[in-house]
Amino acid sequence: MSKSNHLIEPEELMAYLDGELSHDHVATSATHLEHCRECQAIAADLQSVSRQMMAWEVEPSERGTMEGLSAALEKRKREPSERSWWRWATAQRTRPRMFGLAGAGVCVVTLFMVWTLELQPRAQLRRMLQADQRSSYLVAPPKRSSTDQMIVRTAQLSLTTTDFDRVRDRINEILKRHQGYIGELNISSPAGVARTLEGTLRMPADQLEGATAELKSLGRVDSESQNGEEVTAQYVDVEARLTNARNTERRLTDLLRQRTGKLADVLAVEKEIDQVRGSIERMEAEKKNLGNRVDFATVTVRVTEDYRAQMQVVPASLVTRFQNAAVEGYRSTVEGIVSVLLVMLSYGPGLVVWGALLFFPARAAWRRLRRPVP
Amino acid sequence: MRAGNFFVTYGITEGERIVNRPFMTSDESLMLEFQRGSREAFEELFARYRGPLHGFFRRRLDSAARAEDLAQETFLAVIRGTSRYEPRALVRTYLYGIALKLLASERRKQAKDPQLSQPEAAPGDTSDAALWVRQGLEKLDSSEREILMLREYEQLSYSEIAGLLRIPVNTVRSRLFRSRMALKNYLDPANTLPRRGGAA
Repeated sequence: MSKSNHLIEPEELMAYLDGELSHDHVATSATHLEHCRECQAIAADLQSVSRQMMAWEVEPSERGTMEGLSAALEKRKREPSERSWWRWATAQRTRPRMFGLAGAGVCVVTLFMVWTLELQPRAQLRRMLQADQRSSYLVAPPKRSSTDQMIVRTAQLSLTTTDFDRVRDRINEILKRHQGYIGELNISSPAGVARTLEGTLRMPADQLEGATAELKSLGRVDSESQNGEEVTAQYVDVEARLTNARNTERRLTDLLRQRTGKLADVLAVEKEIDQVRGSIERMEAEKKNLGNRVDFATVTVRVTEDYRAQMQVVPASLVTRFQNAAVEGYRSTVEGIVSVLLVMLSYGPGLVVWGALLFFPARAAWRRLRRPVP
Repeated sequence: MRAGNFFVTYGITEGERIVNRPFMTSDESLMLEFQRGSREAFEELFARYRGPLHGFFRRRLDSAARAEDLAQETFLAVIRGTSRYEPRALVRTYLYGIALKLLASERRKQAKDPQLSQPEAAPGDTSDAALWVRQGLEKLDSSEREILMLREYEQLSYSEIAGLLRIPVNTVRSRLFRSRMALKNYLDPANTLPRRGGAA
């Protein structure tokens, strides 16, 4: 809009006539209007519109009295004190406080229920168990005998052999003679390097020396070591703990049978029994494992072929290299597409559902904010 | 910013207007007294706004009975919401805000059930001038028409109109000017001045 000839715009002129112009522009507008014929014509137009609009008068209301409102007034007069607290509670200013109080109340109730149903019975049960343990009901742990030593024997052997092809069969024969078995065996035969055999062999502890001597004959011994770990104390400790746990289980079962109490107490005792049984099973497995390790020695053997490098090295053909590159490219492309699809499948449904849930309320709120009331 | 009982007009007639009487208790004071339980304060407010609210609805609805009902419902809403009223805006703005919401609800109902909108009689004056004005207003865009009517008939300020319709004040000003010019062109096309500057 050009301001070349006029100090004020037509809209500003209208605002001046409506009394809506800011104070610092009023004087300017008034002075301009006194001298500008064009603005005077616009002002006349605006005033003419207002006058003509006033020609449209409506008939007065037929309901001149407050009929229909008296009942509402009386009702309000009767009930304000009864509902004042409700009005206060639902007033916009106090809603955040009410929500906070409600949340705090829920937390308190939840904590009380947890304490009543869970923590208090457990505390009582713990006191009962401690009282029982102080009694002479438990069996004292067995004394160790110095002759019952328990030793876990292991050996490590590293060999180089020129006759690698027969190594496996010879190991099997040795184990057969000494009542042993293969725990784990790996043979590696990459191109251009020496072949290797790595194995974990198990045999009765008293057969260890004999088996080791025969294994050394497979080739040239590069390194040898033997270890003996004493686990007597560990074994005795597991046995003692196992015995105590069994006694505790027996005691708890008696308690369950003899004592009648609240359902919460009974459930707590059963839960404790389950835990004790779990401990018993773990300790039995540990004891068995220790026993097994003591009874059977472990030999870790590594046999390396005495390799002679080839003079002629045949590299992969060009076609093979191109083929490998193409396959690798295709594989990486497919992996990329699959990754993208996985992300979409992981997050897509959630985004769609939340978007659908929030779209209409958000749109309604936006329209309400933006659209003027007709 | 105009107070609740002072305004500038272009030579209007009385009838549905609040007469400018000095030393009159303000609407806001009456509202607060009513909140404290004064029935007389409410009766005074009722007397002041019965006519303007009836005129508000009568000019916008074809049915005189519905206009009466909605004016009554506006006051009922005031009574029910007295405890929640907070003097953050003028009582007049508060009342017309309630009236606009009731009007929007009524129009939604009429849109769903057209039988509800059967005119019982032409609203108000049936003189030629009034008919011309009515027809001219109907040709305006709905938002511009509402702004113009709130300004001319309800005498609301630009900021009050902006607050009620949730639009900026400058938008109110530009649409009001546009609507006045458009109505002028309709009512008096022969004497229409060419627009200076071309305000859109």
